[in-house]
Amino acid sequence: MNRSVYPFYFGLAALIVYSIFFVLPGVMGIFYSFTNWNSYSDEIRFIGFDNLAKIFSGEGRYLGFIYNTLVFTVSTVILKTALGLFFAMLLNDGIRAKGFHRVMLFMPSIVPMLVVGLIFKSILNPATGLLNESLRMIGLEVLTQKWLTDLGWAFKSIIAVDVWKGVGYIMIILLAGLQSIDKTYYEAAEIDGSNFWQKLIHITLPLIVPALVVTTVLNLLHGLKVFEAVYVLTNGGPGYATDVMYTAIFKEFSTGNYGMGTALSSVLFVVMTVIGYFVVRLMSREGDER
Amino acid sequence: MKQRRTGTYEQGDDSYMKKWKTSLLSASVALTVVLAGCGGNNGSAEPSGGGEQGSGKKNITLTYMASQGWIKDSEMELAKKFEAETGIKIDYQIVPADQYFNVLKTKLNAGEGPDIFGGQSGYSEITMNYNVEKNAVDLSDQEWVKREDPLSIEQLTVDGKVYALTIWDTYSSFVVAYNKKLFGELGIEVPKTYEELKQAAETIKAAGVTPIYEPIADGWHHVMWFSEPGPNYDKLEPNLYADLNENKKKFADSQAMLDSLTQLKEMYDLGFFGDNSLSDTGSDTAAKLGSGEFAMSLSAQSLAVELADDYGFELDDIGFFPIPLTDNQIYYIHPGGPSKFIYSGSKYIDEAKQYFNFLTKQENLQFMLDNDPTISNLNFPGLENKYTAEQQKLFENYSERGTDLQNFVTYVNPQWMDIGKDIVAMLAADMKPLDVLKSIDQRREEMAKVAQDPNWK
Repeated sequence: MNRSVYPFYFGLAALIVYSIFFVLPGVMGIFYSFTNWNSYSDEIRFIGFDNLAKIFSGEGRYLGFIYNTLVFTVSTVILKTALGLFFAMLLNDGIRAKGFHRVMLFMPSIVPMLVVGLIFKSILNPATGLLNESLRMIGLEVLTQKWLTDLGWAFKSIIAVDVWKGVGYIMIILLAGLQSIDKTYYEAAEIDGSNFWQKLIHITLPLIVPALVVTTVLNLLHGLKVFEAVYVLTNGGPGYATDVMYTAIFKEFSTGNYGMGTALSSVLFVVMTVIGYFVVRLMSREGDER
Repeated sequence: MKQRRTGTYEQGDDSYMKKWKTSLLSASVALTVVLAGCGGNNGSAEPSGGGEQGSGKKNITLTYMASQGWIKDSEMELAKKFEAETGIKIDYQIVPADQYFNVLKTKLNAGEGPDIFGGQSGYSEITMNYNVEKNAVDLSDQEWVKREDPLSIEQLTVDGKVYALTIWDTYSSFVVAYNKKLFGELGIEVPKTYEELKQAAETIKAAGVTPIYEPIADGWHHVMWFSEPGPNYDKLEPNLYADLNENKKKFADSQAMLDSLTQLKEMYDLGFFGDNSLSDTGSDTAAKLGSGEFAMSLSAQSLAVELADDYGFELDDIGFFPIPLTDNQIYYIHPGGPSKFIYSGSKYIDEAKQYFNFLTKQENLQFMLDNDPTISNLNFPGLENKYTAEQQKLFENYSERGTDLQNFVTYVNPQWMDIGKDIVAMLAADMKPLDVLKSIDQRREEMAKVAQDPNWK
């Protein structure tokens, strides 16, 4: 503070705007999560922890939504990181038309999720979709599935579509990490006779940890906040099998249960803050070591 | 002719998808509420009254706000005549359907309602969503109340007071439309019971045609299989409707409803809807029936016109019958529909009443009926209708009438899409039929509590 060039009130305007439009609504949201605020009556009644109790008591399907969100988050983090790293290593060197391939892999990331969702909804249509039609054409009819309406497949399909869309972005970040690694390490390792896996585990991975931390944070937050992918592809169906936190929040708001909606978002807010805190600490520790 | 189709679907939409449409904006509801003070002014900055009371004809403008599709072109033409006669101008403010309820509720809550506003019908709708006892003018003493279909009037009545005028084609419900030629070739009679429907479907399936096109992906359509035979549940279990509204009975207590859901599930399991119904959408209905791939579909009666226009069918190639689940033979109607309310805070209540009187003159009602392709009849007696021969037959063959579930039983319409999800879960074997009913009860209870319904105390 003593070393700062400008007095603190220079930031006041920004601080006020930020407080009014970000902090205040956030705090109000948490307050409303303790009320029965709804669209059917003018009166807002304080009901304490009733909403939260309902979420965690297992009545309704809220625990299922939380479980789905976690499954989604964990699987997309793992899949995107693994595939992203795989593609990044492929495209780091030793392949023709690197630039072209990089662009192709990155392309899905710039298309809005709604568009991707609509495209995949038609691709995954069991009767007329491209995927099942192709499988039938090459004689693999046994592999055809009702991708988005079968209880066993719907959620997997959503995860697959999200990974398809997100992997390019993760790949670009990891690629940048890979390119910052000095080639001499690999040359030295080769002279010592180490194989591909040894190089990967002892050189590549340790040196791209900062990039991996970034991608993990991004993936975690993206996973916890997932909405569009589920909303467009299945809208939570069949039944409630693929509902996640945000689709549940959206539904609560649309039925007019604003109190319950804010309670759910508050739960998510707390979870994300806790995760965010630890991840930021982890990152800053990484930074200090350097 | 295309217009007719659109219009009729809109009616369906309005009845069932109300909540859905409202929901589209609800993600931003928190913001809307925060900004309600300023938001209330949007679109109606101009004062509702046009100014000085001139001599002779009045120089007054009434604002009339409604959702898209609710005000027919023919009504607007009538409004011009009305203006020529009285000097009272009607200023229509048409709001896109997905935003309408948010805008209307915001305006009503802010005390800045338009002189006339459009709204849906049904007791829980008008009391919970518009709070008509506070926001609307009591119209019970108006002359047209005696002529309008009493079933429609009942939908807009609270504590014996009538709060709105409904001018709508309330008689054309969704029924099962079937391919008459195919039925004839296979020697199938029109099914009168669930067993007969099952037999018919099996015969059709054996002939290589999928029996029923059911667009479950739309989320709302398949709920009608459960709700439309409602009057039959009420017949099988006398006083069921009233008991549900008074909370003396729960959905889960009704054997008829349980049977109905069980039968729906059986139809699904037997493959009557084909194996793609969870991905099928309503916009393909005409194409699927037109191609001969499917034999029946639960649809608006205008489907026949559509098939005649685009798929080389004759108008009488398509016949109709009501959903025979639980052996229902009652022709169910939605007696409500988009209705016209006068805002209690309006400065021009008498002029608005005058407008209603003008619209409900017999010749003006007939004018609307004659000049609008989406209307084949109106809910007033003594009008000359435009029904096709098959529709006439339907009305004659099923003379017993009743109100469908969602238009009579409270807290059903607002949870329409949720019921849809429950039923899909049931079809996918993730929920039992009884659990669907319990789930409906639970949501009704929640709604009743927030509405402080005395029957749920």
